[in-house]
Amino acid sequence: MESTAQARKTMTLNLTETEMKALEELSTTKDISKTAVLRQALRLYQMVEVRIARGEKLFFEHDASKQKAELMML
Amino acid sequence: MSERTAVYLKDRKAGELVDAMLVDGVTRDEVEKAESVWKPFLDQQLKRMQAEGIPKNRWPQHRHWDWRQKQESTETYLAYRMFGVECSSQMQGLMLVLTAGKNARIDSERGKPMVYVHFLAAAPWNLSSIVDEPRYTLVGSVLLAAVIHLSLEEEFQGRIGLHSLPQSDAWYRDACGMTDLGPDPSVQNLRYFEMTPKQAAEFLEER
Repeated sequence: MESTAQARKTMTLNLTETEMKALEELSTTKDISKTAVLRQALRLYQMVEVRIARGEKLFFEHDASKQKAELMML
Repeated sequence: MSERTAVYLKDRKAGELVDAMLVDGVTRDEVEKAESVWKPFLDQQLKRMQAEGIPKNRWPQHRHWDWRQKQESTETYLAYRMFGVECSSQMQGLMLVLTAGKNARIDSERGKPMVYVHFLAAAPWNLSSIVDEPRYTLVGSVLLAAVIHLSLEEEFQGRIGLHSLPQSDAWYRDACGMTDLGPDPSVQNLRYFEMTPKQAAEFLEER
């Protein structure tokens, strides 16, 4: 089976040192490139934005205590 | 926009491989066209099974899946991708996957990203559970290979995960070589399966 990859476009990204450090840490922890981290981030951000625009809220639930905390989106 | 890649299915009656297309990015029209054929066929078979007194636990457990609804509710999101396998101008199988926010649970890969298979089904006439002679085989294998390729493209090294319906547990475990991590209370106690990079490489090598 051949690759199903879509054509991709390139952009330059300007980050502060702190932001770059966070990106590099995620890249190391997740064992993916910085581009792949940002692709993941974009997909999740877009999903959250669409659902919030529909009037939904985003919560985190603690696995053991089941306590819920709303993630504030500004 | 959908992309098409040449693949093969096995025509069971003729006993030979036939040309098929893997569709990445199945459109609403394509899903509607598939459902308009799948549903009447499935309903007819379910009526026959009922008339023949076949117990409901042998009916296909995914018979209630509504692919139209699944496509409509996910088409907005970048994170979801729908794949299909087309052969003889008909959709022979469909699969919906999530490409963001899911991490591996298996010890050796814990916390690393993977592609999650939400739904995977062959067309009803390809299911040995409801017809004596399925038309095409390899539909599930082609779709699983597609999601492994996607995982590789996403730099996830072939890691994939899914919750299986009981009727498919043995296929994912024995035929596909996925690791069975047991029932998951958070998803209707369905068994949760994962494929490591090594298992993914073996799966692709064998096919």
